Amino acid sequence: MAYVFQENVFDVIVCGAGHAGCEAALAAARLGASTLLLTGNLDTIAQMSCNPAIGGQAKGQIVREIDALGGEMAVNTDATGIQFRLLNESKGPAVQSPRAQCDKKAYQFRMKHALELQPGLQIFQATVTGLIVEGGKVVGCHSNLDIDFHGRTVVLTTGTFLRGLLHIGTNKNEGGRLGDFSARTLSGSLEASGIELRRFKTGTPARVLGRSLDFSKMEEQKGDAQPTLFAFHDTRDPEAMFHVEHAGQCQQGWAPGSDQLSCWMTYTTERSAEIVRANKHTSAMYSGQIQGVGPRYCPSIEDKFVRFADKSRHLLFLEPEGRHTDEYYINGLSTSMPFHVQLELIHSIPGMENAVVVRPAYAVEYDYAPPTQLWPSLESRIVEGLFCAGQLNGTSGYEEAAGQGAVAGINAAQKVRGGEPLVLRRHEAYIGVLIDDLVTKGTNEPYRMFTSRAEHRLLLNHGSAELRMLPHLRRLPGLVGVGRLERIEHKAERVGHWCAQLESARSHGVTFGDLIRRVGNEPELPAEFLQEDATVRDEVLYRIRYRGYLEREGRIIERLAGLERVKVPADLDFLAIRGLRKECALKLAAQRPATLGQASRISGVSPADLSVLLVLIESGRAGDGTAPTPPQSMPAS
Amino acid sequence: MPATQEDTIAALATPHGESAVALVRVSGGECSRVAREVVGRLLPPRVARHADYRDRAGVVIDDVLFTYFAGPASYTGEDSLEIACHGNPYIAQRVLEDLFARGCRAAEPGEFTKRAFLNGRMDLSQAEAVMDLIHARGERALEAANRQLRGALGRQIEAAIERLVGVVAQVEAYIDFPEEDLPAENRARLRGEVAALRADLGRLLATAHYGALLRDGVRTVIVGEPNAGKSSLLNRLVGWDRALVSPEPGTTRDYLEEPRVLGAHKIRLVDTAGLNPSPAPLERRGIERTLERAAEADLFLVVLDSTRPCPALPAAITGRLTASNTVLVWNKTDLAQPAGVPLPEAWREYGQVAMSALTGDGVGDLEKIVSELIDKEQLSICGDLIAINARHAAALTEATQCLAFAEEKLGDAGTAPDELMASDLRGALDALGRIGGRVDHERVLDKLFSSFCIGK
Repeated sequence: MAYVFQENVFDVIVCGAGHAGCEAALAAARLGASTLLLTGNLDTIAQMSCNPAIGGQAKGQIVREIDALGGEMAVNTDATGIQFRLLNESKGPAVQSPRAQCDKKAYQFRMKHALELQPGLQIFQATVTGLIVEGGKVVGCHSNLDIDFHGRTVVLTTGTFLRGLLHIGTNKNEGGRLGDFSARTLSGSLEASGIELRRFKTGTPARVLGRSLDFSKMEEQKGDAQPTLFAFHDTRDPEAMFHVEHAGQCQQGWAPGSDQLSCWMTYTTERSAEIVRANKHTSAMYSGQIQGVGPRYCPSIEDKFVRFADKSRHLLFLEPEGRHTDEYYINGLSTSMPFHVQLELIHSIPGMENAVVVRPAYAVEYDYAPPTQLWPSLESRIVEGLFCAGQLNGTSGYEEAAGQGAVAGINAAQKVRGGEPLVLRRHEAYIGVLIDDLVTKGTNEPYRMFTSRAEHRLLLNHGSAELRMLPHLRRLPGLVGVGRLERIEHKAERVGHWCAQLESARSHGVTFGDLIRRVGNEPELPAEFLQEDATVRDEVLYRIRYRGYLEREGRIIERLAGLERVKVPADLDFLAIRGLRKECALKLAAQRPATLGQASRISGVSPADLSVLLVLIESGRAGDGTAPTPPQSMPAS
Repeated sequence: MPATQEDTIAALATPHGESAVALVRVSGGECSRVAREVVGRLLPPRVARHADYRDRAGVVIDDVLFTYFAGPASYTGEDSLEIACHGNPYIAQRVLEDLFARGCRAAEPGEFTKRAFLNGRMDLSQAEAVMDLIHARGERALEAANRQLRGALGRQIEAAIERLVGVVAQVEAYIDFPEEDLPAENRARLRGEVAALRADLGRLLATAHYGALLRDGVRTVIVGEPNAGKSSLLNRLVGWDRALVSPEPGTTRDYLEEPRVLGAHKIRLVDTAGLNPSPAPLERRGIERTLERAAEADLFLVVLDSTRPCPALPAAITGRLTASNTVLVWNKTDLAQPAGVPLPEAWREYGQVAMSALTGDGVGDLEKIVSELIDKEQLSICGDLIAINARHAAALTEATQCLAFAEEKLGDAGTAPDELMASDLRGALDALGRIGGRVDHERVLDKLFSSFCIGK
């Protein structure tokens, strides 16, 4: 008989303390839920298992959204960043993304400290071995310590640990990460509850010692002179912002962007290509050792040389892993070839001829639960009270995981207190796009966010994240402090005021709005406006300059809103509907969209199929198989 | 067979008029009997059989190709028969008459498709074409909708989408992967691709008007002086007293519109107020409305009073008249012959008909000349017969506009951020998606990852 932990029932138990788990635990606790965070190893909290960077295209926007939801990733990155760069500066404000190289260890320690200081949150070291499910509802979990934990909800963030298997050539080790354990029994427990699992694969390159590299043969990439930070410092409470530093009385003397470290660029050679071609059959991926599906956007070096044989060389970045280590991450050289081939390959690259490898590259296979088994709240459709986030849902990336974690934590807390779940819409947030894609379409490779996945990309500029989250913050008190909410409200009011003001006030007979929109024009703006905070000014100018485009987005959203409002009856028998193509009916039956809007995003569902559904639903004849009369007009989609 | 206890229907499925082959389609429970009677033996399903078509009197009408389809594996889901005869309108008419004599009835326009739909044979994936068919009047409209149904429009849109996805993938690669070692961006080539695409969509868009002609009918506006007999002509053509007629000039103060099928075509007859050179105040509004109608006209019937000299009509009307859209109708031949009335120089090329709206004399000539005119015009507009509807046209217009914006930005580097150009392209893709089905972002990514080596 297992011991029951503290004999109390937690509102939320978060299993796993990676990027998803940390945000989930913090969000739930901040909403007032009594929260327990379980991790197999307290020393690997918030570990960056792959590259030492946060942000980048689309991911940087997600981090800002997490910050707007009161999350920790942004502040943690700002406080531990060692190089900051704003990507895509020339392509426009909406597709600009901040990115930072972080000190991996500092990142972990600070996040651990933030968890420790969070009221209402308890952290504990134990490996979860199975769920306790009663009557289709999760009520807790078992652990390797023969201690049981009881909770009203469970947030599962297993990362790559579910039956994790590491490959280096033909060498295999169990583990979620090299040097870590593998969660062996939890998969079986999930499957026993009726949750389907599949296999994905990802990989990480070797790490080398900086002192063994010849940087003179590489090209230096410095950080921006003026760093773009992730957290909204203008609305964050300065006290709360660095509560970790304040609490520990160990002011780190943090100064954003000062003393930044550089990354270094080099290229593979013809010799590298030869080595890969001669040895690709030894790769775990190519020799059939790996069954899992890997991501296309993160191909191994053997993939790159095979699939793009005409490309003579591939760009590599050497990224520092921290201030207090000499380890460098070889970005671009992911592989699952045997270690001796890896060495030969690394030594064929300019600047790395004498590189000392301290960790080999490897591929990792792991179980994920196809996310179409989830509601848009990230709660399982199969086990009530179970929420899933991160790589368990088939995603890839720290930011994607953290974004889901925040939402899962919020919704677990909401579930306990009977509140409406937070479901971000596609035009509100990248996190909304991410979760909608996952639960609606699923994914057949580890899912990574790209700005091009967001059809309303122009509405999702990183600077507006707080304003976009504002309506949700209002109904989720505690997520951000009262003072911060007031400051965001004020910012929204100023932005609204100036957008209206500049469109009506005139200078020499022309509205400021029109002056701003003139190409190449730098109009003189009212002095009062120029005194506003830069974050307000930037957002106002963005909205005015892009007005025509943003209005077009607005019209599209309006048109689609009609479909979103049409609820698909839960008992609709898609297969009995005449006029619906079989292929489409099967897809709909499998995915059971909640609204026509969701149905419209399922691949293979055509406008005509939607018409059939619309007619059936509107005429209230759903399910009786009566042939519908053709609709008078097609729903726009 | 999904039994529809309905009649067996028959109709010509190919356009009316001269063509190499005319296809007569029969559908319903009596097909198998009819086939046996006509061919003299049972036909195996789905095999084309060459045989003589003998009418009920045993006279060979034509040597034709019979294809029998047993329901539900047929277009309509019912037993069906297709008879391909030589494309002489007279032969097709004889075949149809014989089928009617054997108990079939003439199909309503679009009725085959409607049955197919009701029997679950059609999935509505081409729902709009179905709608067009059901509303179609006139065989030409039927044909255009049929072509659309068979996917001619869908194929063109799909091809355009595929090209556009390629362009979008190019642009997005440089936006989403700024740190990748991609080949230098070739904006001139992209611009060329966008321009070519825009031109092609423009050509498709040009068929919109033709589509409207087919669906809504050819707007045939009756104009002339007051009391020339315009309203009488309308009444004569529609076969009942639609318009109030009186010997008083200026009885029609507003316009009236009435549809009618003429030969293979659907027309909308529009009666208008007489064009009085010195109108009374009350008439003035009517004349304005006439000019408005004239601006939208596809075809003009200029009604002339044979008893009077040729009138001087407003330039707003005469400026629109051409030999391909105008018929001069000399009315009141019951009172006088028009032979002696001198015509303006420009009018001499126009088709002319002498008739009496009162007695109906010559009305057949008028119908014939109008029908021929429309035939000629339609063939010259669009040999390919892809007609698009108003919703398609709106989507295509939006797509071409978006492409024009993108083209401008591509040619003018540095003035607008790429995210706006990308937004324009995405707008075009969405617009095309409203015709061809939503374009999933995944498709852009597929293209992107297959074209570029991406990934660190």
